Amino acid sequence: MSGEDGGAWQIVHVPGRPPVPPDQQLTVNVVAAQIEQPKLTNTIIRRLSQIAPLEDLHHVKRVKKKCIEGGQIQLSVILCLAPENGDFDGIPCDVKDVINSYQLSPFVAKVCKYAASSKEEWVEQCKLWPTSYHPPTYNISGITGFSEEDSQSVVSFMKYALELAKSHGNVVVNAAAIVDPLSNQVIARACDEVCSLQTPKTEASAECGGPGQVKTSISCLHPRWWVDEQTGRSSSFCHPLRHAAIVAIESSAARDRRLFPDVRYKDESTIEECVLSPANSQVKRQKTDANDVDNDDKNDTAYGNGDLSSRPYLCTGNDIYLVWEPCIMCAMALVHQRIRRVFYACPNPSAGALGSVHRLQGEKSLNHHYAVFRVVVPQDVLDKVELSMISGS
Amino acid sequence: METDNIASSERFSPEILGFMQLAIDQAKLALDSLEVPVGCVIVEDGNVIAAGRNRTNETRNATRHAEMEALDVLIIQWQRTGFTAAEVAEKFSACSLYVTCEPCIMCAAALSIIGIKEVYYGCANDKFGGCGSILSLHSSSSEAGISIGNCGSKGFKCCGGIMASEAVSLLRDFYEQGNPNAPKPHRSRVTQA
Repeated sequence: MSGEDGGAWQIVHVPGRPPVPPDQQLTVNVVAAQIEQPKLTNTIIRRLSQIAPLEDLHHVKRVKKKCIEGGQIQLSVILCLAPENGDFDGIPCDVKDVINSYQLSPFVAKVCKYAASSKEEWVEQCKLWPTSYHPPTYNISGITGFSEEDSQSVVSFMKYALELAKSHGNVVVNAAAIVDPLSNQVIARACDEVCSLQTPKTEASAECGGPGQVKTSISCLHPRWWVDEQTGRSSSFCHPLRHAAIVAIESSAARDRRLFPDVRYKDESTIEECVLSPANSQVKRQKTDANDVDNDDKNDTAYGNGDLSSRPYLCTGNDIYLVWEPCIMCAMALVHQRIRRVFYACPNPSAGALGSVHRLQGEKSLNHHYAVFRVVVPQDVLDKVELSMISGS
Repeated sequence: METDNIASSERFSPEILGFMQLAIDQAKLALDSLEVPVGCVIVEDGNVIAAGRNRTNETRNATRHAEMEALDVLIIQWQRTGFTAAEVAEKFSACSLYVTCEPCIMCAAALSIIGIKEVYYGCANDKFGGCGSILSLHSSSSEAGISIGNCGSKGFKCCGGIMASEAVSLLRDFYEQGNPNAPKPHRSRVTQA
């Protein structure tokens, strides 16, 4: 990966919570007790899970097992959360009954407040009290590291996005490429289309500026810039919400409609109809929009001849490569469209929603979670695409 | 439910309830088209100037929420009229949005980007809400916005709970049918087709 003068490419996972040193995780106090008669363990746990469930501590194991000298096993159980003032009188009556009837000797123990988001955190957590380790995106490949082959592919798609970002003459914009990792294909690509100077139409006129006059207009960095953007210019194209990621999603949806024109809803009847008439769907699979996205559907190996069994729901399983970390609007759009992994090259300190200002990937209430990675681009590559001055790295 | 209605009619002016009814009509159109029933209208000077409803299934684009549909109608129209960005911004700053469900995080951000004046919504959105439920994007004018002019986000006035029970009951109707476009594991049809 390295070997070049400007440093090495790096792919860094951006977890759902701000990283803390594993040994400095937040803890809460609980009341625990040793179980002297192991055969009572199940009965006690069953009773406790009824009267004192550990609502916000689902990651914490109720029982701690410790091997002591002589091969003996010592079991301790969490009775309940510690009363606020630390006074055992505050223990709920039901729990007190358990303490009395099994003659337990309660003590205060510390457990980690949040579920571990990395293996390192989890190892540290278990030193205090055992927890389970199931980050919401734990089964997404890359979280535990990339193979050499996968890294190469991530790097090549990020290079593609970087090239796209500077394809607008002397104006640098954000760029997005949605990739199907199974077929290793870009299925949709887009740049910011917020202001006229960002649209491909003006590319010719923009080319007169030399490389020294590179301007930037990255919509996710300053979402409200559009208001000032055209001061002094006469009327022209302006759409404040057409950030690169939003346009790319639109383009991938258009592609899905082209590839599978007959499926509106996944009823049995429509599926049958489509499978039985592949020729028909071929004919309808023409470019229908004026968008000059050059995804050639004919070369689309991922979906074969519009085979419905391979048709994903929205962008399930797809990755997106962005030059800049998306703003909150774009980040949430990517949740809605079920993107699997988000890769960005440059952090967005003013409005970034995936680590800089917000950390949307850590919002538990959402119905979908993607994994987020920052791709650190070597300096010489940034120089080549003339992004070094603005990337902040 | 009934108390909700009573509270609604006492707390909110007939004008607000009237516009919310129009938003609910939009949500019903969505339901008829087998879309998640959320609808909205945008009001300027007491007149409805745009309406929108969810089109995520039809477009296979999960970002095509009612609010985005209605905003696009206006942006495209004003672009054709030849308004400058400053004029578009000024017009949006005088517009109110009535939507049956609390705007999600994406829509709340979009509303802040275009600089809407105020938002009235029906039911809260416990999973995705961007106006108080999960994030509070309506109340966060970013610091960058204060220091570098217009580049940050702009807050907007927000008021929820208007005819919430009607909005919820439409959503309940929809999910009882089962979302026809949801992936299989999440599908929970009550009645078999």
